[in-house]
Amino acid sequence: MQPVLEVRDLTKAYGSFRAVDRVSFDLSKGQILGLLGPNGAGKTTTIQMLVGITLPDAGSIHYFGMDLRRHREACLERVNFSSSYNMLQGRISVWENLVVFARLYRVDKPEHKIRDLCGYFGITHLLSQVFKVLSSGERTRVNLVKALLNDPEVVLMDEPTASLDPDIADRTLSLIESLRQSRDLAIVYTSHEMDEVTRICDEVIFLDHGRIVAQDTPARLTKRILHSQVRVRFEGQRGQVLRALNGRFAAVAVPHENVVVVTTEEHLIPQAIFDISNAGVRIVDIDIEKPTLEDVFLQIARGDGRVS
Amino acid sequence: MAVAVSVSRIAAVLLQEVYITLRSVEVIVDLPVWSLVTVMVFGFVTLFLSRVMNPIFAQYLYMGTLLWEIIRVAQYSMSLSALWNVWSRNLTNMFITPLSMPEYIVAQMISGAIKAVVLFGLVALIALFVFGLNLFALGLPNLALLFVNLLCFAYSIGLIILGIILRLGTRIQALAWGLVLVFQPLTAAYYPLDVMPPALQSVARTLPPTYVFEAARASLSEPRVHWEFMAIAAVQNALYFGLAVWFFAFMYRRSRQTGQFARNEE
Repeated sequence: MQPVLEVRDLTKAYGSFRAVDRVSFDLSKGQILGLLGPNGAGKTTTIQMLVGITLPDAGSIHYFGMDLRRHREACLERVNFSSSYNMLQGRISVWENLVVFARLYRVDKPEHKIRDLCGYFGITHLLSQVFKVLSSGERTRVNLVKALLNDPEVVLMDEPTASLDPDIADRTLSLIESLRQSRDLAIVYTSHEMDEVTRICDEVIFLDHGRIVAQDTPARLTKRILHSQVRVRFEGQRGQVLRALNGRFAAVAVPHENVVVVTTEEHLIPQAIFDISNAGVRIVDIDIEKPTLEDVFLQIARGDGRVS
Repeated sequence: MAVAVSVSRIAAVLLQEVYITLRSVEVIVDLPVWSLVTVMVFGFVTLFLSRVMNPIFAQYLYMGTLLWEIIRVAQYSMSLSALWNVWSRNLTNMFITPLSMPEYIVAQMISGAIKAVVLFGLVALIALFVFGLNLFALGLPNLALLFVNLLCFAYSIGLIILGIILRLGTRIQALAWGLVLVFQPLTAAYYPLDVMPPALQSVARTLPPTYVFEAARASLSEPRVHWEFMAIAAVQNALYFGLAVWFFAFMYRRSRQTGQFARNEE
């Protein structure tokens, strides 16, 4: 099946700074693709090129098999965008804003469509309010309504939950998940929230200095970090524990008198616990920390190079 | 690359203009209120001057003031429309829809023309009924030609300012209000061209409104279309508008190449 979005060797430089450097990826129908990376990694520039407001220096963007530059109108009629940073016109009402956008997308029966979507997102009561007086959460939901007005097949979401409180962010994510399922939406999603990305993205691209440094499913990416940590609190002699663990694991640390932290490969964690329990001490607490997407992110952000 | 113009999208931008205009105190003050203040103040000045000098000269001043409103209103509408959306961080939102820049510009030209027609009509009626200056006596075809030529010049200036704002960002947004004023003394809006020093006359002759104001003054004593002026104004306007479109297209493309278009709202 042809991807709904094909990006090939996308490149953008500002002077000597390469903001995006030969980035290529595909997006399939119904897929959520996460774009992650530290500040300045090239996520926002990539999104800006994907919606045509910044022109690439090189490379191509094809939506539904059509070149964005040559068929801008036909592409953008089937694409939409939502960002916590882009506002609607602040001086006019939510209803007026949405009517304008519905007409820009040449939506049939726009009033009906707006009421349907506002009902879905629970913001019908906001329709008469001026946009600039809305809270962050309300603005996000209005932006999401705007992003769905044209029944898009691809939605680009640039940190849609930024500045939302956890409850609203969670509800927004649930809405995105249900939209993907009910409409088979393809979504490009940027966020700094690793938990969000792990939760909703099928595939993640890590950008660093404009380049793709890792691309995989969240689960497989975290498995690329080999070591997990097990933190064991015990009652008994510390020396006996250290002797039992000596030299068998990647790292052993004793941050407190009765706490030992063992860093090791995930499959050796049961062995570490077994060894501690056989050291003649009583285990009172075990805490296992498996690698998360955040660890992958930090590894990249700290310049530890390519994730293997 | 084919550009399909959609009437529906142009209408959508016009609809947004209507909403913004109705809800913005600033627009109401800058457009109708300012026009009304101008027509009143210069109306009384004209009444006073008519008592102490040949009334025709006072009428030159008043007519120039009223005709200048066409340039001011249309240029303001063209240049400020994008700024309202930049300030709301909504301009990029509009351009990630299928809306094209030509459609947006056409919508702003229509909006500017409607505002200029309404406000110029209003001030012309006030001038007639309150201060006795009958611009309609110039003849409607003549008045329409004067209007269209001034409107065209306003479009050119508006496009150039808009291009500069898109390319350089809102730090030079004051141009949207201020730049057009530079042309006021240079286009002999309130006085005959021949009172200007020869060097400035040469500059004035490169500007279409100069010929429009000369034609208007000539029409006060001889109400007809003064083609000797209007033809030059029309040719110059065509040239200016062509250059303005080219300049705007260049600046808009550079704005998207440099990323400034997206950064304008950061």
